[in-house]
Amino acid sequence: MTMKVHKVSPQSQNSTKRHGKNKWRKRIHRRDTSLLNTSRGTAKLAQQITKREKPALKQLKKLYTKPIPEDSCPEERREKATSVTFAHVHTNGGTELDDSSSSVDSQEWSEYANSVLKNGMESSTSPKTDQMEEDGLQFHAHFDHTHNRAVLVMKQGQVLCFRGKCLLTCLYGHVEVLGFTIEEGQQPYPLFSPPSHCPLTITALGNNPPSGKNKKEGLLEAKAIVRKYFSSEPSKKLMSEVDSDSCVVLLEPLDTPLTRFLTSFSELSEIFGLNSKELKSQAAVYSPVLSAVGVTALRGPCAQGLVLSRSYREAISSLLSAWAGEFVRCPIILACGGKSSGKSTFNRHLINSLLNHTASVEYLECDLGQTEFTPPGCLSLNTVTEPLLGPPFTHLRDPEHMVYYGQADCQADIDRYLESLKSLWRHVSGESPVIINTMGWIRGHGFQILVDLIRLFSVTHVVQLSFGNAPQCQLLTPDFFRTAHGWQTHPPTPPTLTEEPASHPSIRSHVFLSVQSEFEGAGTSGEMQHQRSNELRDLALLSYFSKLQSPEPGPIRPLHCFIPYQVPHSAVAIGLTHCEVAPNNILYAANASIVGLCCLSEKVMGRGGPVVLSQTPICQCVGLGVLRGVDMARGLYFLVTPVSPSVLRHVNCLLLGEITLPKILLTKQHGVEGDLPYVTTDYSFEVQGAGKLHIYKGLARPGFIKSNN
Amino acid sequence: MKKKTVGKTRHVVAWMNKAEYEHVLEYLFSKEPALQKHALHRISAWKGRFGQSTPVAVDSTADLVRCQVLDSKGQLESNDLVLLYGMALVRFVNLITERQQKRVARPLRRLAGNINIPEWVVNLRHDLTHRRLPSLKWCRKGCGFVLDWLHQEYWSRQMGSQLTEDWNTSSEEEDEEEFVKKQEEDLLRRQKEIEAHKKVRELLISYEREQFQTYEELAKQGGQRGVWPDASADLSWILTQIKHFATEARDILVDVLIQDGFLIPTAEQLESLDIDPSEDSVDMFAPCLPRVFLHFWLPCLKVLNSSIFINLILDKLFAELSNEPSSHRTYYIASWISEILLCNSKSELKAHKRLKISKERIFMNRLQFPWQNLISACVNAPCPATPFLLRQILSDMDQPLPHDAQQNLLQLCSIYTQGYHGNSSPGPSDPAQPVYTLQNLQERLKSNAAQNRDTSSNHTPRSVQAPPTEELQEKLSAETVQERNFALRGSAWSVCTDKVPWKQYPLGKVPGQPEDPSCLMVECYSTFTVFDQQVELDQLPRHHGNRSVPLQSRASGSDGPLWTHSDLSKLKAGLKLF
Repeated sequence: MTMKVHKVSPQSQNSTKRHGKNKWRKRIHRRDTSLLNTSRGTAKLAQQITKREKPALKQLKKLYTKPIPEDSCPEERREKATSVTFAHVHTNGGTELDDSSSSVDSQEWSEYANSVLKNGMESSTSPKTDQMEEDGLQFHAHFDHTHNRAVLVMKQGQVLCFRGKCLLTCLYGHVEVLGFTIEEGQQPYPLFSPPSHCPLTITALGNNPPSGKNKKEGLLEAKAIVRKYFSSEPSKKLMSEVDSDSCVVLLEPLDTPLTRFLTSFSELSEIFGLNSKELKSQAAVYSPVLSAVGVTALRGPCAQGLVLSRSYREAISSLLSAWAGEFVRCPIILACGGKSSGKSTFNRHLINSLLNHTASVEYLECDLGQTEFTPPGCLSLNTVTEPLLGPPFTHLRDPEHMVYYGQADCQADIDRYLESLKSLWRHVSGESPVIINTMGWIRGHGFQILVDLIRLFSVTHVVQLSFGNAPQCQLLTPDFFRTAHGWQTHPPTPPTLTEEPASHPSIRSHVFLSVQSEFEGAGTSGEMQHQRSNELRDLALLSYFSKLQSPEPGPIRPLHCFIPYQVPHSAVAIGLTHCEVAPNNILYAANASIVGLCCLSEKVMGRGGPVVLSQTPICQCVGLGVLRGVDMARGLYFLVTPVSPSVLRHVNCLLLGEITLPKILLTKQHGVEGDLPYVTTDYSFEVQGAGKLHIYKGLARPGFIKSNN
Repeated sequence: MKKKTVGKTRHVVAWMNKAEYEHVLEYLFSKEPALQKHALHRISAWKGRFGQSTPVAVDSTADLVRCQVLDSKGQLESNDLVLLYGMALVRFVNLITERQQKRVARPLRRLAGNINIPEWVVNLRHDLTHRRLPSLKWCRKGCGFVLDWLHQEYWSRQMGSQLTEDWNTSSEEEDEEEFVKKQEEDLLRRQKEIEAHKKVRELLISYEREQFQTYEELAKQGGQRGVWPDASADLSWILTQIKHFATEARDILVDVLIQDGFLIPTAEQLESLDIDPSEDSVDMFAPCLPRVFLHFWLPCLKVLNSSIFINLILDKLFAELSNEPSSHRTYYIASWISEILLCNSKSELKAHKRLKISKERIFMNRLQFPWQNLISACVNAPCPATPFLLRQILSDMDQPLPHDAQQNLLQLCSIYTQGYHGNSSPGPSDPAQPVYTLQNLQERLKSNAAQNRDTSSNHTPRSVQAPPTEELQEKLSAETVQERNFALRGSAWSVCTDKVPWKQYPLGKVPGQPEDPSCLMVECYSTFTVFDQQVELDQLPRHHGNRSVPLQSRASGSDGPLWTHSDLSKLKAGLKLF
């Protein structure tokens, strides 16, 4: 802890020296020192969490990875890489790292970055040729009935764009999925391509022939690998397709508690199927082998996958070279842009690309509505070590640090929002690249918040995504920051004549990258099923609570069937984040609601009855739970949560927010006789005033219309 | 609440059940500030649950009622109140008409008119936003009107309450008039009934008199075994009268018939018919009408013979039997039931048709009885003769029950009625006590009936509908519970180890939770303030340096949902308004 604070403070001291009147720098400093006292408890907790996490990760690696070739041994590499810790786990591109000097090393990196750039260009142009259209859709796959898995042989450059889910292992060569390169010998990766998002593509990158192996040897090796994966002799046709530069991937059906839980609801039974547009244009390619493992290949205009514009590829490649090159500070990358401009997809792509070169990426979640790793309403700092090969709800993870904000947007309390983020920022290690994901709110105060975030976190690279002809908001260039006012931060005072004007930009000037999104429907939020933001939030919550289901296949249990934890009313504080409730009615708000499980540093000791928080604290949140009932006679809360008991023991505060249980979890409770609480069939929306507050945006005035005509 | 059907959409609402909704509705419009405030507090919790989807009407109602509550306190000046009322009224008019807006803005006046909000309310809004502030009087008037509107248009119509039509049209005077009218009608009807009863009794008595004469003549001529003559002119006339009456008021006729002195003979009557009235002479377990007595009534019953009449009289006889009448009455009621059943019996019917001895039969053609009803009526009216009657019914059904079901039913029946076998068995001799057994019997009967329906008639198979048998309830091994509790040691948390079938309790419900809408009210709570908030650092130095955690305990000693005045003042003093 102390280390980190020291790291921050010299910088802030510097800046206060230079700009004596700069308030916000001062503030950071003051807070940081004050935090020293309070953060011990949470830090300890964080350690425990990481302790809990790490072994599982390693075990997974052991299970799947075959011995890594010596030349890319992680230890060796760490010694060689002098400037940064190029830590270990993923060995992508590692074979190229033979030279020992760091300068050559970085040269290699930039070469790779360029290759990515080139690669992207190829893959976006080549599928349009006729040859690819005809040939590319013939997937040479063979299904192994005894093991229930499929082997797919792909030619170099072949692209499989698909819907569905599967577990992918690369057997020979290497393939790329959403920026992440999967090589032979790596662990299997789960791929999710539900109709809510842009379909995933598997691109065969072929094989880098290692020195000392000629084409023939490669071919024999590939064929041997294919044979190994079949109990019976595979068809000659498949074998004839195998080439020394082709890729061989193993696809297995994917069945996890998440997929079982989601598909157990009739409304979500097609969550891994095609969307209505794809169905209409008959984009599905009939392939019994692929559908046996849960994959539907797409063709035609629907099979475009991720559309990478030139500016997009340039941005990714310059960010990759920023990480590879020399730098004083680790890159801190902030992606921003209006709603549906492709921020989160860009971030996923970037994370995956970075994970080809580094073991972990730090990710600061500032978007409350569409969170990447957590249920909605949470702000979090995550260490990402695994690629993101699917939409957010398929890869929920326990973050390193989390604060429960309790609402899907931050308008109600911008100060608490910013303070929460600042408290998370303290935990950034500064040893791996940081990616900051922001909200789609870029007007008015939303824009001011962006300015704050860039200033507060000393962002080194700002990626601004826009679509259409005109940018959606002011470009966040370094020049603009000379005069930009944020919600909390303000531009430095204009330089007096005596001072050197050049000294200012050097302090915190960032690289500005503008990205033009060119995919179809950029800027318009999805209207199809499972694409609306509230549906995605519900999916994230369902995904979170699917962790309660047992990992072994078995009956899917509704939430109310789990044996709850219990805690006395007086031992945990309870409060609302989003509105005021009369304290004597607080249990009416809490019953059968989602609560954020938080840890206050103070001890909570009530004198009988609930302990009601007088204001919303900013504190570590370890997860969510459902307050499944209240025992008034014994003064107990009953809680159902996937949070492990060793973490739950630290929880002494329950925060209620506007994040509500997905309706489906309340309306479908099998096995209950009689009426369900909070559920009715008698509510009529026909009655005046029965609906929620309705906001018409862009209500035209009659006079205005006339003048237009 | 209405039973949930599959077709209806289930909505998630903030109230636990309809009772809670009605509780709040009642308090909101109670005109009693203490109760209104109670309702407002509950709505604050509802808003917490609803979040952004709070119904506009609930929100507006709460705001307006809040104004009334604050007004009633008398602590605010009228200028303050105008501002409060003003905001609530402006919001109401804007929000309630918002739904009707289309792409182009339309005048509020028209939108409000569509939903029966008068122009003066819209004008009031206009004054509040653009002109001179209206007077408090106008604000109060507007608030009162709008609350009435909300009551009528939202609260009374929501949640399946369909009382709106009456609520709107009928005034209290009309109600009163109607009530008086109804009372008069009732009186008139009762009067008519009494008249009818009198008339029937007279008719039947004259019938009896006529028949006695015939009997006496018959006895003089040569023993009671002789054949009764055809009806005399007098008797025929009486019979036509009875028949005529039966079409008018069958109910009354049957009622009178089963009174003592008619179908149930008095001892006197029996003696005059030369029948031994003592109970020793009859078999309580196998009742049988004395032939003479049957003949005595045959002409009358034959006249009345119709399937409706027979069914009705069977019903009434069983009903009478279930009232546990005297043993004499019981015997004769049972006898009549048995006689009717016998007349309808398949085998008997055939035999008699062949032999052409139709004279002793009340009716000739086999009737369709509601067999299931008969069985339940029969077991509902336990008496010593029940097994006997039940056997008759069971053997005569069109679609007989399975044999073992019949046996079980009869056995249960005789177990229950064995108390009547003198005092030889220690079984339940008090007929009032063993109701338990009767319930069992009924259950048995029901299941048998269901079984019967399933097997005999080809209805859709229903056994498949049983709920999924797979065990949804999570089961934790003792080790898992121990492991979890070990991980939780030292904290207030633990795994709930109560033996509770959680799968039966939906989210929001726990064992022993009452249905009472006030069951989650907190009587006593403490406030917790976290002082080292980073948020506060650069803002108002409100909680400077104070790092202690003051716990203010506030206990109000009320045990019900209603607050006493002292509670209220305590809360008023202690709570900040929101």
